[in-house]
Amino acid sequence: MNQNFRFDCVGYALFAALVLLAVPWYLSFDGFELNTFARYLALGMVAMALALSWGYAGILNLGQAATFGIGAYIMAMHLKLGASAANPGGLPDFMGWTNVETLPWFWVPFHSLTVTLLAGVLLPAAVAGVIGTFMFRGRITGVFVAIITLALLVAIQLVFVEYQMYTGGQNGLTGLAPLVLAGWTADPYSTAFYYFVAGCLLVATAACVALTRSKVGLILRAIKENPDRVRFFGYHVSSFETVVFCISAMIAGWAGMLYVLVLEFASPTYMGVPFSLAIVIWCAVGGRNSLVAAALGGIVVNILEGRLSDLFVEGWTLFLGVTFILVVLFMPDGLFGVFRRIATRLHERLRRHRNSTGKALPTGAGAVPARAGEQGGQ
Amino acid sequence: MAHLELKELGVHFGGLRAVDGLNLSLKFGELRCLLGPNGAGKSTTLDLICGKTLPTAGRVVFDDRDITGLKEYQRARCGIGRKFQTPAVFRDLTVCENLEVARSQHPGVLSALGVFRSRVRGRMAEVLELVELTGELHTRAGNLSHGQTQWLEIAMLLMQDSRLILFDEPTAGMTIQETHKTAGIFNALKGSHTMIVVEHDMGFVREIAETVTVMDMGTLLAEGSIADVENDPAVREAYLANGGDDA
Amino acid sequence: MDVFFNQAFTGLSTASILLLVALGLAIIYGAMGVINLAHGEFVMLGAYAAWFLQSFLGIGLFLGLPLVFVFVALLGLAIERGLVRWLYHRPLDTILATWGVGIVLQQLVRMIAGPDSRYVERPAMLDGNLRIADVYMSNYRIFLLFFSVAVLVATWYLMTRTEFGTKLRAVIQNREISECYGIRTERVYALTFAYGAGLAGIAGALITPLASVTPGMGTNLVVDAFLVVIVGGVGSLLGTAAASGLVGEATALFSFLLNDTIGRVAVLMAIIVLIRFWPQGLFADRIRR
Repeated sequence: MNQNFRFDCVGYALFAALVLLAVPWYLSFDGFELNTFARYLALGMVAMALALSWGYAGILNLGQAATFGIGAYIMAMHLKLGASAANPGGLPDFMGWTNVETLPWFWVPFHSLTVTLLAGVLLPAAVAGVIGTFMFRGRITGVFVAIITLALLVAIQLVFVEYQMYTGGQNGLTGLAPLVLAGWTADPYSTAFYYFVAGCLLVATAACVALTRSKVGLILRAIKENPDRVRFFGYHVSSFETVVFCISAMIAGWAGMLYVLVLEFASPTYMGVPFSLAIVIWCAVGGRNSLVAAALGGIVVNILEGRLSDLFVEGWTLFLGVTFILVVLFMPDGLFGVFRRIATRLHERLRRHRNSTGKALPTGAGAVPARAGEQGGQ
Repeated sequence: MAHLELKELGVHFGGLRAVDGLNLSLKFGELRCLLGPNGAGKSTTLDLICGKTLPTAGRVVFDDRDITGLKEYQRARCGIGRKFQTPAVFRDLTVCENLEVARSQHPGVLSALGVFRSRVRGRMAEVLELVELTGELHTRAGNLSHGQTQWLEIAMLLMQDSRLILFDEPTAGMTIQETHKTAGIFNALKGSHTMIVVEHDMGFVREIAETVTVMDMGTLLAEGSIADVENDPAVREAYLANGGDDA
Repeated sequence: MDVFFNQAFTGLSTASILLLVALGLAIIYGAMGVINLAHGEFVMLGAYAAWFLQSFLGIGLFLGLPLVFVFVALLGLAIERGLVRWLYHRPLDTILATWGVGIVLQQLVRMIAGPDSRYVERPAMLDGNLRIADVYMSNYRIFLLFFSVAVLVATWYLMTRTEFGTKLRAVIQNREISECYGIRTERVYALTFAYGAGLAGIAGALITPLASVTPGMGTNLVVDAFLVVIVGGVGSLLGTAAASGLVGEATALFSFLLNDTIGRVAVLMAIIVLIRFWPQGLFADRIRR
């Protein structure tokens, strides 16, 4: 478990430098531009969450957007209540239009910020815990996990659209108050806000990297390869799978909360099938086997989308589709796989060179994430 | 006192009775060789003991505890380890990582969260030395030779340190020297570990066996020392009838 | 009582559409284990092809069906040869790659035909309703019901009574050994994929009189059809038919008892439970090889 540790640290450090220094500097600390990038970071975070379950445990969750959306709605409910304080009964405007007279019981707790923040990660985790236990205890794997999570996603989105009087239906939740966190008002167009989102992403990534570097990560990789063999060593395979599924959902919920803060509204499209599969695309493009690479994948694809769709609106989706097909076909490990291959080759050449000249040269491991970093900065 | 006891154990797949009314009893620290022609139900018997297959009749008693209804991982936690016929190591993991997975004395999720590095000292160093894989510590298991893969799985079972170990053809694909060395390891494990070995290589069986059990058509045919069994007319009959491919 | 029969007929009608869409998917999934998420777009292309034939060339729905079949089948063939065949050993990746194909097809249609809804007229001879007591049944829906059963029977015949079907079943059981016996498995796979795609095209053409034609119409269909295939059981045509009936009737029943959306949610939940306990499908056992 040790020899990749330095590789991870270097990659993570470069990622942090990119997010904390390079991007704000490149955008000359302009709040408006940084807001766009904060959005990319939140999307990178949910891609990272997917890589945790997909890349490390082989659980292809096509319903990742469901937990992301739940987190988003929870944050939006809190902010909506904040914006509706002046209304009669503190009732959100859309409830008035649909003749709801008192605030529904499940809205009430979200007056409290603490409850909101806790629920934003714990509720997605609970949903994932229930469905995970249900699936993994029955030893459901592979394609069937993908189908079940997809069906669940569709069901959850239908419910959110249907109960318009409680969720705002197709329109979602709009007209939100800004978040006030310990006396600090989160203005989404400020540099401070960008650093808040970046900090969340880096903390979450660090926690997940630590998880994958622990023995849990090792057991998960073993499960991905041969779950039956792992059982004969006395590990309760479904517990491991459920735990990583829950943690992935927590990060996704967290990212959903940040996303609402950035965009200042929640929409049922956050729980749509296209969005959920887009997360899978980002993760695959970056590289499902590395958390940092998956996050970068989410960020890079969205940067490109932002830049290219300005140039040619129609062609962008086409470009994305073709890129994705090519990635699946030729780069199953995404950009990360390509960089790692280059790194290994460089490393070997350097070692051979060192052996022949007898000189000490720096190892090639650092070269890889540096390249990954350049990608993100363009 | 018996360490492992099979009582009237049976399983059928559709119409096929793979194991039928099998009785078997092992003392603690005993090494038992399980012989029999192909399709006799030897591997299925191991499956029934480790929980890969659930029996349709009879009971499995281990350490005076009825484990018939327990799942694989629960049986592993009771102290039953299994080596599979085709080497079942994790090919994407390194040798060191494979052994860390096998070091499963604390198999819970929470205790696994606290472990960040494998210490290649103590037991792990000993085991690596024994199977001569010390130099391959960071090699991906998929890149090992066939013989080394066999050794790795044996090493994993030694790391797991189960009190009852089930071996399914442990020497398949090994050279004569390697087979001999495996026999040495098995003989050293006797007394502290109970073992069941399914094996076709009679030379190997002679090196390690005290008592052998011969199965045929899912039932017990004969039991005793090798000499006794070899002279048993029923055993000769069974092997001849099945083509005698491995006697 | 008429309410009951009306609902039952709505269910059957839903089921027949599901069956038409799911049949092609079931064949592809059963034969190659490929989850073809572009199937919805094959349906969509079939619908657009029917619209194009009717609006620009004046070819009616029925006359156009063979053309639609050939067009979508050829496209399926191209996709199989160019993409899917490289992914047979990575089943999960086929989900992703075919989703990419779906995105591309959808966008191409959006760029060429525009994002607006299109409509196709049903053949005049199928206008009107059949009335039995107080139960009204649209002639077109009755036709769809019989047509989907006919397609099912034809497919069954193709799979079990023809040389191609025998070859296909041999390849499904053991690809290597089939190759040893001189079966060109590549070709069998390609033709199967093309046939499945062609069926999707027909399904798309036939649902045009009932639903508006949009570039995104396939996305919802493919999810539903997939659930039907999995519930029915891998490689079982009869299972797919039965599952279509089950899902169609259950949707009608729940929609009647609750409402349309919540009915659909209830069916989805029921399907999740079914997949959890019978991941091999309800009807897979009987055809176990």
